[in-house]
Amino acid sequence: MTPASNTDAVLKIDNLALHFLGQDSIVEALKGITMEIAAGEVVGVVGESGSGKSVTALNTLRLLPRTKTRIPHGTVSVLGRDVMTLNEAELQKVRGGDVSMIFQEPMTALNPVLRVREQMFDVILRHQTISPADAEKLSLKLLSDMKIQDAERVFNAYPHELSGGMRQRVMIAMAFSCQPKLIVADEPTTALDVTVQAQILNLLRERARATKTAVMLITHDLAVVAQLCDRVYVMYKGKIVEQGLTRDVIGKPQHAYTRALLNALPEGKKPKSRLETVAASMIEGQAAVAAPVAQRTTVQAGFKLYGRATPLFEAVGATVRYPKKYNLLGRAISYQTAVNQVNLSLYEGQTLAIVGESGCGKTSFANSIVGLVPLASGELRYKGKNLRDHDELTRREVQIVFQDPQSSLDPRWPIWRIMTEPLTVGKRPSRNELRETAAGLCEMVGLDPNAIDRLPHEFSGGQRQRIAIGRALSVHPRLLLLDEPTSALDVSVQAQILNLLLDLQEKYQLSYLFISHNVAVVRHIADHVAVMYMGQVVESGESEQVLTRPTHEYTRTLMDAVPTLERAFAA
Amino acid sequence: MPENSKQPSDALAIAKTAGVSLNPLDPTSRFNASKLKQFTNTEIVIAFILFVTLVILAVFGSFLQTHDPMQGDLLKRFAKVGEKGYLLGSDHLGRDLWSRAVAGLQWSMACALTANVINLLIGTSLGLMAAEKEGWARTIIRQFTDTLQSFPFLVVAIVVVVIVGHGFVPLVLTLGLGAWVVFMRVVYAEATSIYQRDYVKAARIAGVSRSAIMFGHVLPGVRASLFVIFAFHFAGLLIAESALSFLGIGAPLGVPTWGNMLAESRQYLLKAPWMLMVPAGAIVLAVITMNLVGDGIASLSRKRGRSIDV
Repeated sequence: MTPASNTDAVLKIDNLALHFLGQDSIVEALKGITMEIAAGEVVGVVGESGSGKSVTALNTLRLLPRTKTRIPHGTVSVLGRDVMTLNEAELQKVRGGDVSMIFQEPMTALNPVLRVREQMFDVILRHQTISPADAEKLSLKLLSDMKIQDAERVFNAYPHELSGGMRQRVMIAMAFSCQPKLIVADEPTTALDVTVQAQILNLLRERARATKTAVMLITHDLAVVAQLCDRVYVMYKGKIVEQGLTRDVIGKPQHAYTRALLNALPEGKKPKSRLETVAASMIEGQAAVAAPVAQRTTVQAGFKLYGRATPLFEAVGATVRYPKKYNLLGRAISYQTAVNQVNLSLYEGQTLAIVGESGCGKTSFANSIVGLVPLASGELRYKGKNLRDHDELTRREVQIVFQDPQSSLDPRWPIWRIMTEPLTVGKRPSRNELRETAAGLCEMVGLDPNAIDRLPHEFSGGQRQRIAIGRALSVHPRLLLLDEPTSALDVSVQAQILNLLLDLQEKYQLSYLFISHNVAVVRHIADHVAVMYMGQVVESGESEQVLTRPTHEYTRTLMDAVPTLERAFAA
Repeated sequence: MPENSKQPSDALAIAKTAGVSLNPLDPTSRFNASKLKQFTNTEIVIAFILFVTLVILAVFGSFLQTHDPMQGDLLKRFAKVGEKGYLLGSDHLGRDLWSRAVAGLQWSMACALTANVINLLIGTSLGLMAAEKEGWARTIIRQFTDTLQSFPFLVVAIVVVVIVGHGFVPLVLTLGLGAWVVFMRVVYAEATSIYQRDYVKAARIAGVSRSAIMFGHVLPGVRASLFVIFAFHFAGLLIAESALSFLGIGAPLGVPTWGNMLAESRQYLLKAPWMLMVPAGAIVLAVITMNLVGDGIASLSRKRGRSIDV
């Protein structure tokens, strides 16, 4: 499909600039963007956080408060009407009528106290004059169009009674309910599991094709774009840096930023190779990143090798149960098994990845290793000793890095205090010693050692993850549990963190237990893979073996669901 | 940066939500004049001025009194405001209402402050203990709090006064031991959520002791709210103290407190309405001041909280 001609454009944005007015500063979110979407077209808008892609989406429906924003120049027209000149009442008709929106998090986008029925009626009856009986018929049809088998039940359910994927289907059904000309989908599948994501994306594409609806898909995931979109706009710092047919842009990227984004993806790269990162100068807020992994002997000296004769870490029949029901005396009488008879082993200097979807028990397993939840049966062995004893040595040598660097750092502590907190256990090192150590750790993880007095909010997401890794390294661990360490980060930042982890592993022979749902990342970093499904390990082995020639049914489903550039081009 | 909250409250938050980088590494962003300006507004300035005035009156009150608050002059009964050398008039025994109001301020402030500190200590300790982990301690503390709250406070106060008698100490203890529920509830709610943060998990995994976690991570996390409740609760205690005194179960009779002055004014409401106006005005002014101070602290910590990104 070629870019739309002027006549049949559903959405036309012309040289649009948008500023946010802060207390005493102005943030230029968009710096003159021009884009067009024709009827029936699926167009991707790709960029990392801060690129202005969500602002573009929200502004299309004028969903940004007018008192806090300013539009110096440019126009946005939907179906030939300039939305900038419409008043609130006219906009109401456009929103949900001609243009509808799908948000990232369906739980917050649906009203929790209303049934699906009421919420669908609300949208349908506002924009169409039909009887409630017809509205019900229409709703049920829309729901069954979304391949919802028991549409009747979903129709009468409250949002909390539905799974995340089901809620997103309801959102999409609602978005299609008034025969819109354009659907703006802002990261519609980011909050969902891979297998669910695949279903939702296919449905979205199918429905858009069938109803000739144009879709503007905002995402950071190039693979999703490759699989779904006819055309793509690449945004960077409030500008469109590249546009064109998906095949051309992703196959033969012209702009340096697009190339950098593609190179930062672990997919298709040699496992354990260092990924190219978007040049530091191109990313804002990276000034404090020093050269990766510098030397500092004081910190390094503490890492002691164990050797590969026996596994460093072993799980034998590990089982974790949570109480489900209690009797009158507060005793648990029935249990939910989160981790069921898991057997794994990990040798020093290697990476074992646990792959699975949300609820498969991978995080419960990690929590049991660090002693946050007890094992119901089975044994976890570290250097041949039972981990249950949790003596001080094992506690130091097994450290964890969490997924969300926002919540894993105390917002009130300067980072030198955060990074050295584990060193204060049972000892009282002097402030200067701790600061000295923190500076060394900063160098190890590629942060500016002069930044140790800053608070976490002064750092970007990737830098915060570096701080969290630094904290884990402070006690010279041998085994690091990495619980989705990159899933909250942008692609280019993810590449930096993966590189850092690989560098650290090479240097100190660290072992990683890497928990992730991202198959591409796992393929890149792991030596061994264990696939978890409903609390059990269904398949494990060398990562190359498991991920290219899966034998278990579930692994195959999982692999097929992952959107990849390769497959998109094969199609 | 998370992109899921779609209804941010101001431009900065919107810019953040939409993923616009605000250059978090600007080294000048921590302390500068514009930040200070951003944190102050007219309300906070008024609250500050009123609060300082109250504190000065409470501390240096003895030097500012024009008469002995207890000594009446029966020849100068019911002097109107400004008459016969009485700044705010005199009462039915010819005592200076201004001096009595200042004395009442000292009494009420001392009483409310002491009771408030006791409330703070009890409520915060119980809230932290209950929040730390599930178990019998949490159950007992929560049940106890609920029970206490369901008792009519006035009845308890009357019983205490009947058993222990009038006076500063019984009154402070009644208020101090009976009114900490609000502290416990707020601390419990906030501390529970902090205990679930990953940084607390990380500290536990590293083997940091329970007390170090409590005093290093959790207490600093609830500190801002404690300041706010302290100010609001102070206002509540001022009213409670006056109410109890008015009913005759607070301050001993004859002691110049606002509640006692109100009680005395009742019989002379038509003849000398200023006898009511002065203590009532004093209570209103003090309560408004403390509420403004509470609002001020709340808005300060909100603004700070936003830049901290809690």
